[in-house]
Amino acid sequence: MLLANNIYFKRNNRKIINNVSLSLSDHKIIHLTGNNGAGKTTLLKIITNVLELQKGEIYWNGKNIKKNPFDFYKNVTFIMDHNTSNKSLTINENIFFWRKLFSSKRNNKEIDSILELLSLNHLQNTLISYLSYGEKRKLELSRLIIEQKKLWVLDEPYNGLDQSSINLVNHTLLNHMKLGGMIIFTSHFSPEIPNIENLYLDNHAHL
Amino acid sequence: MHTFNSIIALINREFKITYRNFSDILSIFLFFLLGIMIFVFSVGGNTKIFNEIGIGIIWTLLLLSNNLSLRKFYQDDFNDNSIILFHISGLSYEIISLIKMIVNWIFIQLPFFIIIPLGVLLLNIDISNFQIIFLSFLIGSTIITCIASISGSMNLLNNKNFAIGSLIIMILSIPVIIFSVSLINLADEFIKAQISILLGIMFFFLAITPWICAACIKLALQSK
Repeated sequence: MLLANNIYFKRNNRKIINNVSLSLSDHKIIHLTGNNGAGKTTLLKIITNVLELQKGEIYWNGKNIKKNPFDFYKNVTFIMDHNTSNKSLTINENIFFWRKLFSSKRNNKEIDSILELLSLNHLQNTLISYLSYGEKRKLELSRLIIEQKKLWVLDEPYNGLDQSSINLVNHTLLNHMKLGGMIIFTSHFSPEIPNIENLYLDNHAHL
Repeated sequence: MHTFNSIIALINREFKITYRNFSDILSIFLFFLLGIMIFVFSVGGNTKIFNEIGIGIIWTLLLLSNNLSLRKFYQDDFNDNSIILFHISGLSYEIISLIKMIVNWIFIQLPFFIIIPLGVLLLNIDISNFQIIFLSFLIGSTIITCIASISGSMNLLNNKNFAIGSLIIMILSIPVIIFSVSLINLADEFIKAQISILLGIMFFFLAITPWICAACIKLALQSK
């Protein structure tokens, strides 16, 4: 279970996150909403311990994530607003790197079927620099399946996706929740996922 | 075992990316050789002058060539957040920095061992000094890699004034240049002492660089 208490973050004398609390347990999904600059991406980076908290605490299964971040990271997949696939490498080379980096147990057959589902199988040996934004985004989202972690933290996962890919992402998120996973994501798009909890960030939010 | 796998994966990735962008590296070596040729053309065929200042020219051009590779350290991985991905995989920023330094040394510094003899020949420097030049470069290149890594991490958020990164390298390299260049003209009994000083500087930088770079990366992420 992820528990965040009274998170506060200030940058350049501007309060970005002011006293936000949330809890995330198995089978639960939170949709972070808010205007531009409300601090959605910042909150996700704080939750994943990329940004240091200025006030408040975050606990994973009762343990403060700041004290042992690498134990926490074993359970987290973070899809950021930028695509991390390297443009000098092909799809296959990027996937190979992610599999090794996260010691993924996915075999080649499973990877092939993921790429087929994402309609990227015919581009396996294409350099990332030749892919469209939507294709790069789909490749980035494939990390969710490759890494096989419990907590998914997603920053604008629907950006650049066509309708069939959006349906596929929704299906994947639902499936992850059914299997006991937990998800927190930001998006200006409202996906059709049942039992979704909304957290509107207005610098005074509580959930 | 997982951390070891992640380290191998990152080294493998860095090698592949550097190999794909080999033209960038090639231009660094061309810069070095063309720089030497410009000196040769501008000073003329006076071999006595080159024997006296040749080693200084080589070190100056090595330093300037290293400035060209400055942005190769962390900038791309910082801009697309890959550096966060490496960290979440279980690698500390210190380890990431160390891996980047090793890859940079192999791809940027190591080929200079082939190119420096060319420079020595072009400048007509006494060949009996080869051993000392190589030894001083072996130590000096490691120090310069550390300094370039520090400079690269300090300038992650600096998208305007690229000269600052080069200035940091030049200022921090002054002791290396002084001790490396003067090695050539030293009496035999002082060479060992001076190499010990260079080794001392090298170990000092090797010890502090990962920590400084990690702190700079964290600070840059905090302000991004």
